Amino acid sequence: MNAFLLQYLPIVIFFAIATVLGLGFMIAAAVMAPSAPDAEKNSAYECGFNAFDDARMKFDVRFYLVSILFIIFDLEVAFLFPWAVSLFGMPHDKMVYAFVSMMVFLGVLTVGFIYEWKKGALEWE
Amino acid sequence: MMTDLSSALMICLPELILAVGAMLVLMLGAFGGERSTGAATMFSGAALIAGAFAAALGPHGTLFAGAFHMDQLAAYSKVAIYVASAFAVVMGYGWMNRSNERKFEYPVLILLATLGMSMMVSAGDLISLYISIELQSLALYILAAFQRDDARASEAGLKYFVLGALSSGILLYGISLVYGFAGSMGFTQIAHAIAAGGANHGVVFGLVFLICGVAFKASAAPFHMWTPDVYEGAPTPVVAFVAAAPKLAAMVLFVRTLSMGFFGAHEQWAQVLLVIAVISFVVGAFGGLMQRDVKRLLAYSSIANIGYALLGIAAGTQLGVQAMLVFMVLYMIDVTGFFACLLALARNGRPITQISDLSGLKGSKPGIALAITALSLSVLGMPPFSGFWAKFYVFKSAFDAGLWQIAIAGLVASVVAAFYYLRMIKIMWFDASPAPVDGSPSEARWIAFACALFSFPVVLIALHFLDQSAGLAAASLGLH
Amino acid sequence: MPVFDPNTDPLGYVLIHLLGIVLVVVGVLLSLAFLLLADRKIWAGVQMRKGPNVVGPFGLLQSFADFFKFVFKEIVIPAGADKGVFLLAPLLSFIFAFVMWAAIPFAPEWVVANINVGILYLFAVSSLGVYGIIMGGWASNSKYPFLGSLRSAAQMVSYEVSIGFVIITVILLTAIKLAAAHQGSLVDAMNLQAIASMQQGWFWNWNVFGGGLKHLPMIIVMFPMMVVFFVSFLAETNRPPFDLPEAESELVAGYQVEYSSTPYLLFMIGEYSNIVLMCALMTTLFFGGWSPPYPTTGWFEGWSFLGIDASFWGQLHALVWFCIKTVFWFFMVAMMKAIVPRYRYDQLMRLGWKIFLPTSLVAVAAVAAWGVFAPLG
Repeated sequence: MNAFLLQYLPIVIFFAIATVLGLGFMIAAAVMAPSAPDAEKNSAYECGFNAFDDARMKFDVRFYLVSILFIIFDLEVAFLFPWAVSLFGMPHDKMVYAFVSMMVFLGVLTVGFIYEWKKGALEWE
Repeated sequence: MMTDLSSALMICLPELILAVGAMLVLMLGAFGGERSTGAATMFSGAALIAGAFAAALGPHGTLFAGAFHMDQLAAYSKVAIYVASAFAVVMGYGWMNRSNERKFEYPVLILLATLGMSMMVSAGDLISLYISIELQSLALYILAAFQRDDARASEAGLKYFVLGALSSGILLYGISLVYGFAGSMGFTQIAHAIAAGGANHGVVFGLVFLICGVAFKASAAPFHMWTPDVYEGAPTPVVAFVAAAPKLAAMVLFVRTLSMGFFGAHEQWAQVLLVIAVISFVVGAFGGLMQRDVKRLLAYSSIANIGYALLGIAAGTQLGVQAMLVFMVLYMIDVTGFFACLLALARNGRPITQISDLSGLKGSKPGIALAITALSLSVLGMPPFSGFWAKFYVFKSAFDAGLWQIAIAGLVASVVAAFYYLRMIKIMWFDASPAPVDGSPSEARWIAFACALFSFPVVLIALHFLDQSAGLAAASLGLH
Repeated sequence: MPVFDPNTDPLGYVLIHLLGIVLVVVGVLLSLAFLLLADRKIWAGVQMRKGPNVVGPFGLLQSFADFFKFVFKEIVIPAGADKGVFLLAPLLSFIFAFVMWAAIPFAPEWVVANINVGILYLFAVSSLGVYGIIMGGWASNSKYPFLGSLRSAAQMVSYEVSIGFVIITVILLTAIKLAAAHQGSLVDAMNLQAIASMQQGWFWNWNVFGGGLKHLPMIIVMFPMMVVFFVSFLAETNRPPFDLPEAESELVAGYQVEYSSTPYLLFMIGEYSNIVLMCALMTTLFFGGWSPPYPTTGWFEGWSFLGIDASFWGQLHALVWFCIKTVFWFFMVAMMKAIVPRYRYDQLMRLGWKIFLPTSLVAVAAVAAWGVFAPLG
């Protein structure tokens, strides 16, 4: 097998062991623990009330906004990884060029960030 | 290295001006709030004019490993696009002032959309093609839904976005097929691959998807479904923008992609384009007959006109491309004038959009009525108005390329389309006016008059220069 | 450790790795049991209580008693719940929390998977952790869990961005040092073993001090980045003072409200495993990992004890230092829980987006500029 892929074999094994262990815990409880469900026990918890309505309700749009911002900045981080490992392997003039290019990229994103800040997209009140 | 970089930056100076300008205006607006809308508008207009000068006078060359071409064709289209965008910025500012909705984002979005278009006409490989189309479209989606409180504008924006996302998917699918079968993203390399191995089925398949994707952006039938709804729902200055510059950009993108990358497959794509062209002008001509809304009517008219322009590309000759370029610029001027007229018309503070509302315009607004008449006659192709020359060029190139059946079909379609322009003229001049019309804002009126004057008689002088520069632009592709 | 060639002896290769993994899993689980107790003891100590003290001497076996209690409790699944997803959520949390240990270097040669993009792997898997929480909150079909999971997801996602930038600063610093040392490929800057070994020698080579006397000015950047990382990881693992998803007075227990028995146990082990892992990562990124705070070159050469040769003792020495540092950070985490009052949600978001994000962004630029422009000779 490919030596490069072999590095990842332990992770696959690890994944399998963790799965077996987790399932084992769940099955242990399912086998050993008593099981006596009734309607009250199985109802959704709402501080002693019966549930008023369905829990899958509308929620604040700001969570959505946060997820969009997250995607933008996480992608930015993803761009930075390859840049960070290759930057210092270059001759000096190219290094400056690469540095300036990435700073321009970060600058453009910063402009967007300032805009959303000023527009109040980051406020929670 | 440094000299390389600075000369490269000089070549893409127009784009740099727009990009930096857009960011500066955004910051200006972010810190200044709504008060800075006027300054933002002026600054954006200045950036567009500066960009136009930079494009006209700047150096030419190929950059970024062939991903960006600055040549005569790009310069010609950029100047036209920037000027049209500047008009849209001005019209939008007046409109925002009147509807009390001053948002500095409007000029920023126009600048970004223009940046996208400007990269579209320079795109030299499939990646820059896709990125530029997306930059343009995303800005346009937001612009279409710019009146957030208005249900129809939101609907228009959403429809545009959903269908646009679909077409982007189709486009990407085509791009990946072409990349897979031709082995490269660059147009020159694709051309080499086709020259060496012929156009295999995979490439042709991908190319068809690619054409469909771009045809959507150009609103050619059968990918026109969004056009009437967006034209009807979106704010008028936005429609004036969407109807003019993006169409030219998409057309130039067509020309550059097809003739630089896929000329070896000319026989195949010419058939596809001819089918699209015929469907477009048939749909445009017959669809327009039933419309009561002026903006919807103009939407169908634009679909038909894209069909005529595609004839020029399908011919695959230098003359055809030249005809298309002349046609598109003359059409842009007509359509900008049309929407400026609509902006200038309101009754009791509500903009006039129904054709029947135009009745009796000769009494209340003879100037605007005259302008609409001139522009209508021009779009329907009446000599000696500019539209006649535009169609003359295109049909001539189609005849020369041996496409005479299609050209005759186009002539028939334009006769059918003439009906609805004539009906509009009749309503304006011979019907009675139901109620007085509001005073018209000066900037819209002046743009309307300027465009009408251009359609006749200025065109007779301008055509000479337009023809010349379009010829140079077409020659830069190296066709025959 | 005997080395097996995967091509000639695949079974031996798999078995030796299996052994190592089982060792790591058992070790982590056992340490978790005692760290959980330590957490409660520290908390109790700050409040002048005794904490758990009944099961075993000083309550040392408390966690094991808890474990058995969980196993013998009934699994309650709410009637409206999405059963499959409901049970899958804790399992995923547990799995993702554990597979991260695969890339953590415990000693110079003791690491389960020495992959060259180790830190990227950790970053990726820790992002997946949010799925367990979102799925759990959604599948419960109950209001508190739903709101708790939303909050939790938004919070984790907000701080993940800063963590990403902080990681970039460490990668940049390691790449600068690797380039100066002309050692191997620069891609190793993402290898956690390389990050740790580039901080060997005296303690001032640790990244928190700028990574060596030559880079001492970088302490202005790296020390704050360490703080940002520490605070972000508290928020990322929903620890106090950022335990808003389960703020008892508001949301009862957040996404875990409907869980009982071992599914709840899996969530809890996952959470604590994440905390300890983040402590280990903190150690590796900023405090030299397994490297002792003094140079050990030549210490164990030609020396053997109990018939086992020197290299093993060298590894063990490093492992002890790794554990000391990790436990120290765990102590800090426990102290934070005991001392600091809980944040409000808007304060939390403000801290993440308006303070940490710009700061860490500037830090990335600063470290890169240092590497490019500083006269390092």
